[in-house]
Amino acid sequence: MKYDRQFAHANVLPDAPLAMPKQQLEPSRRSLFGALRDVFLVFSSR
Amino acid sequence: MTRSILTRTTALLAALCLSGAGGYLFLRFTGEGGLTALDVARAVLMTFSAFWLVWGGAAAVLGVFVPSRRAVLSNDTPQGMTAILVPIYNENPVETFARIAAMNRSLIELGVAERFHIAVLSDTQQPENARAEMVWFQQLLAEPMSDGRIFYRRRERNIGRKAGNIEDFIERSGAAYDYALILDADSLMEGATIAELARRMDGDASLGLLQTLPQIIHAQTLFGRSMQFSAGYLSPAFARGAAVMQGNEGPYWGHNAIVRVKAFAASCGLPELSGKPPFGGHILSHDYVEAALLSRAGWKVQVDPNLGGSFEEGPENLIEYAKRDRRWCQGNLQHRRLIGAPGLKFWSRFTFVQGIMAYLASPLWLALLATSIAAAIFPNPQPMFAGFDPTPISMWVLGAAVAAVLVIPKFMIFLRGAVDGRNRRFGGNVRVLGSIVGEIVFSTILAPVMLLLQSRAVAQVLLGIDGGWPATKRGQNWLSLRDSFSASWWIVLLGVATLGSTILFAPTIAIWVAPAMLPAIIAPLLIAFSSHPPRKPKVPSLFRTDLEIVPSPVIVQQRVILAAWLEQGEPAGTTLAEGIGHVHA
Repeated sequence: MKYDRQFAHANVLPDAPLAMPKQQLEPSRRSLFGALRDVFLVFSSR
Repeated sequence: MTRSILTRTTALLAALCLSGAGGYLFLRFTGEGGLTALDVARAVLMTFSAFWLVWGGAAAVLGVFVPSRRAVLSNDTPQGMTAILVPIYNENPVETFARIAAMNRSLIELGVAERFHIAVLSDTQQPENARAEMVWFQQLLAEPMSDGRIFYRRRERNIGRKAGNIEDFIERSGAAYDYALILDADSLMEGATIAELARRMDGDASLGLLQTLPQIIHAQTLFGRSMQFSAGYLSPAFARGAAVMQGNEGPYWGHNAIVRVKAFAASCGLPELSGKPPFGGHILSHDYVEAALLSRAGWKVQVDPNLGGSFEEGPENLIEYAKRDRRWCQGNLQHRRLIGAPGLKFWSRFTFVQGIMAYLASPLWLALLATSIAAAIFPNPQPMFAGFDPTPISMWVLGAAVAAVLVIPKFMIFLRGAVDGRNRRFGGNVRVLGSIVGEIVFSTILAPVMLLLQSRAVAQVLLGIDGGWPATKRGQNWLSLRDSFSASWWIVLLGVATLGSTILFAPTIAIWVAPAMLPAIIAPLLIAFSSHPPRKPKVPSLFRTDLEIVPSPVIVQQRVILAAWLEQGEPAGTTLAEGIGHVHA
């Protein structure tokens, strides 16, 4: 349970959800296995 | 934009030229008769450290020449709905809620309160504090127009700390609001300023974030009042200069700023960084990152140092300051992971570097001191390169130049204040000049202690020690000599060892080392002495600010409310259930 169940005020904020997607901040690191797999997929799709 | 690029380039060139000249002079002094590896290392350290000093000074000098027109506030009711967010974490609820009540009354007096809701977002983890918050929230609900406008919720687990707290609010309720004014527990703002922020957002659909320059209030101790004066009198010039350089890629300091909720939600969801703290995990100094992300998404991020009516409280002693600084140090050093983040604007990356250097500068100056002592102890190692002929300029000239970079901007700010009449608001030219000299003396004496504290913080972070997230102790926390000694005994030891060994093994440079090490040796005395308020008068002439002479109406209101609440004591006879009717959204 994320909110304190003892406190009734937990529910009174407006129920108006807004998505907050996580941003990409770290350069994506590719593993050697991932790179080999991508190469294989390129050839297999031809 | 062209203006920002021009000023950035000018400041950058000034910093490069002056620090380069300083480094060259240093090399000439140390390299007479042959350059050793130690000489080259010292000159590099000198140049690099001086660059950041000049860079900071350049912003202040620039700010002296930027006009500071007081913003003209309109009386129109803002169009958009704003949520005023007050994230709290183990704070004193009476003081925090008194500030909220004062801001609420200020908005009501203006006749714009219906466009603003207030949400207290508690992350308090201590059960006793949580209970006190709930009890005192009943008191807040007795304030006018609280019905359906003032909310409270508490998270059981403070996931993501303050950034996570705000994110949680947006994910639950963000779509109900156009803007969010993000505050700290110690923030206080005039209703007119709050309304103006919302109107600015109304007026510019591309503005993602507008930051105000909060002025420190309610300081009582020598340390606190020195910072309060510095923030109130000197900081606006630094901020104006920085604002010109930053343009639409301005700063976000985490509070006393308004954001466009839609923009913030779409661009500022912070991921956890891979790895463990201190470099991995949740992003600590989230504000810099959020500003960079808004810029990345094409939103304007601006600061308006002339807006006024924005206040906060500061640490009252050096130990509390160091605790906060330790947190900020870890947060800023963590940004090294983000300098290369995809898509960021160049200025955002530079801001990260600048933030990191704000902390790395201390160990670099310390390294310069250590290498200089080493060079004096071992005076004749094998030179690597041919040296320079003796120079007619004394080494003191270089020392004076470094001091001038620190001091001249402050006197330029004073001169401008004398010309435009601002000094009158601070008690007149004589009083302001006395305070500036006092601030320079006080900050110079404390500088070695701060340098060692910051160096320790950097070392701890680099060694992988996570500082956690200690709650801020606000208000009166005066320190005894014993407390001061237990927090700074290692500084004393370091000072005695350094000065002692210099006198023994390199007496020729003892005169250079003594000014840095004597304050370290008496650190407990300095810390304890500066953590106490003056006996009398209650508001001394030294470090007097405009707000101490004529407080802003919301400050007066907050004091009146707090005094009344404290006199009345904890609200009696209220049960938690009674509040429910007041808080339907």
